[in-house]
Amino acid sequence: MSFLKKIDIKNNTLLVKEFFFQNVWTNISLYLIGASLVFSLILVQFSLPQFNVSATLREAQTETSSNNSNLGVGTNLIQFTNSKSNVFNEFVSNMQSYVIAQRMWDKGWATEIYAGGDETIDFNKIKRTHTIGDRLSALLLGYELYDYYSPNDLQDFIKANVSVSKEIKGTNITVSMLSDDQKFALKFLNEIIIDTDKYAKEYLILKSNAIIDETYKQLAISKNSAISASLAATINSEYLKIATLQNDLPYHIYFIDPPHSSEYPVTPKVSAIFISNIIIFIFISTLYSFVKSNKEDLW
Amino acid sequence: MVNEYFELINYGGSFYYYLFELANFSVLALLAMIVYQCGYININSLIVWVGIFLLPIFLNYFLFSPYLFPDQFQYAAEVASQKSKGISIPNIAAQNDNSLEDIGLISGISAINPITLTTKILGFAPIPNFMTVTSLAFANKFFLFLTFLWLKKHFENENALLMYFLIPSLLLYSSLSLRDSLVIILSLLFFIYAFKDRYLISLIILYPLFFLKIQMFAFFSLYYLGRFLFRANKSLASLGLFAFTILSLSLFFDDLILALINGYRYGFAAEDLDLGNGLYGYAAWSMYGQEMMDSLTLNSIPEAILTALVGLPNLLLMPLPWNWSNIFYPVQALESVFLIFLYIWIMVKYQLFNNKEFIFLTFILVASLLVYSLLAFNEGTFVRYRFTLFYPFLIGIYFIGTNSKLLKDRE
Repeated sequence: MSFLKKIDIKNNTLLVKEFFFQNVWTNISLYLIGASLVFSLILVQFSLPQFNVSATLREAQTETSSNNSNLGVGTNLIQFTNSKSNVFNEFVSNMQSYVIAQRMWDKGWATEIYAGGDETIDFNKIKRTHTIGDRLSALLLGYELYDYYSPNDLQDFIKANVSVSKEIKGTNITVSMLSDDQKFALKFLNEIIIDTDKYAKEYLILKSNAIIDETYKQLAISKNSAISASLAATINSEYLKIATLQNDLPYHIYFIDPPHSSEYPVTPKVSAIFISNIIIFIFISTLYSFVKSNKEDLW
Repeated sequence: MVNEYFELINYGGSFYYYLFELANFSVLALLAMIVYQCGYININSLIVWVGIFLLPIFLNYFLFSPYLFPDQFQYAAEVASQKSKGISIPNIAAQNDNSLEDIGLISGISAINPITLTTKILGFAPIPNFMTVTSLAFANKFFLFLTFLWLKKHFENENALLMYFLIPSLLLYSSLSLRDSLVIILSLLFFIYAFKDRYLISLIILYPLFFLKIQMFAFFSLYYLGRFLFRANKSLASLGLFAFTILSLSLFFDDLILALINGYRYGFAAEDLDLGNGLYGYAAWSMYGQEMMDSLTLNSIPEAILTALVGLPNLLLMPLPWNWSNIFYPVQALESVFLIFLYIWIMVKYQLFNNKEFIFLTFILVASLLVYSLLAFNEGTFVRYRFTLFYPFLIGIYFIGTNSKLLKDRE
């Protein structure tokens, strides 16, 4: 084992031992370990335990892109990535839209989020604070800052806190958020999912109504019986679409697993905080002793 | 420590983030002190490496958003999932199901996912926390430090070698949770063992590169075959024969080679396509890609060689000023010029003009760069790819320069 001889384990072990007793196994280390425990305890006491609330959804319908076998390897690669992502993308865009934020706002969610659930406060008059940077920008650029929270803030809240993910090639969508208030998160997540789906349906109903109106106009002036028959068929199909959309059933997605919360908080991880602090404090103590004993070399 | 709910928790920029990462730094810095105490490194190396270990804390969230390199989240989630549950995250698991067949490249081969392999290797690093998006950067630093310790044996001047570890791109990529520094480390090991004629060890090192970076595997395989079968590092005649064989084979299998290159050209062009109004990437390509394919398609090997030669200066100097779109581009533009200068400087300083080992190595480097120049549509990606390729060659010629006597004696 020539390479072991090269490492010279015996001598190196002695050197590491010497390093340990000279720099790590010191009184300062002991004091700092104690300090790290106190610091960790304080840190944990001030931490807000957060629960993971999530729901699993499935796409109620999927759209597949057309497959052209003449397009070659590169296009196959692209189609692999693109296929079946439209419903998911539309769902995410709708969820993060201003329209949904406005609807959630009108339902009074601002009271829960920005006023701690105090229903005596008008949710349109919840005072907000601004950072110095915001104030400075407003002063320099000459615009006024809003004194109250608005649907824009709720939209930012949704974007920052509600995450939506879908596995590649899968059909399941996971919607989740972290919150220190399980009850609030369960209700909020359920409502935003339902509202997002409803919004998609409303858009399609509007679209069908517009198609029907225009088709009626064309039907009135059409003199060709074949065209008239085709236009009538279009009107029928759009009415059918409206009939299927005007119900309480989900359109884009349906719940596989309704919003539910983790049993215990998922963050912060207390053991990681304690261990990390002990390591950092031991390092500080070692560094102090090391610099002291190697002052000449270091400078 | 790992957090089993990693994919749902973003410690980004919070106090906890810095706490967990400072603990990782502390362990590495302690390791550097012990190594110094054992006399393996000098005081300069100790100071510099402690600085290098500290760097990841000042990049993600501090200097720039980690979303500038969004792949980091995949690596971080994968390592947390592997360590807590022993399985891949759903996205990677889905890709693992016959991923190569899906894109029509190879059928019947079940590939090891490069992200999974990277996290499994980097997961061996003795750092306490794999909690945040930056944790794997510390694992990268650990393995880079081991590589430095190993390389140091082969170079007389430790301080000079240390300078090569201060190249900005190396500092950047090893400070992120990506696989580039792992690819660089394996490439360095491959070259040094190959220079020492340890062909079996080189071959073993080559194997993971097939999964981590298939193009690097292809380039190094070429080098391995040229060295092992043709002895192209011994004489110009052997090198000529090797070059002639490659050219003949590429002309003979031109359909296969062109189909492969064209496939990658479409893919990289699609990634970089921006038609404005929010229409970009694969979505834009799926609408207008068909019309662009003709202009991108290479129809013959001579056309491919000509196109590659024309594109080579752009690849070597990118990112050019009109493509600068983030804070790193000006630095990387200057660095690209500096690296070429350094390559030439080493050649002149150690008088390597007639060194066959050097000539063969440079031949492979140029051939590899020519392949890259055919695909270099996306600046961000290819600045990274170019550095990952160039750096091992740079250390390689530095090794040849400083050890030329040793290599000559063996001949």
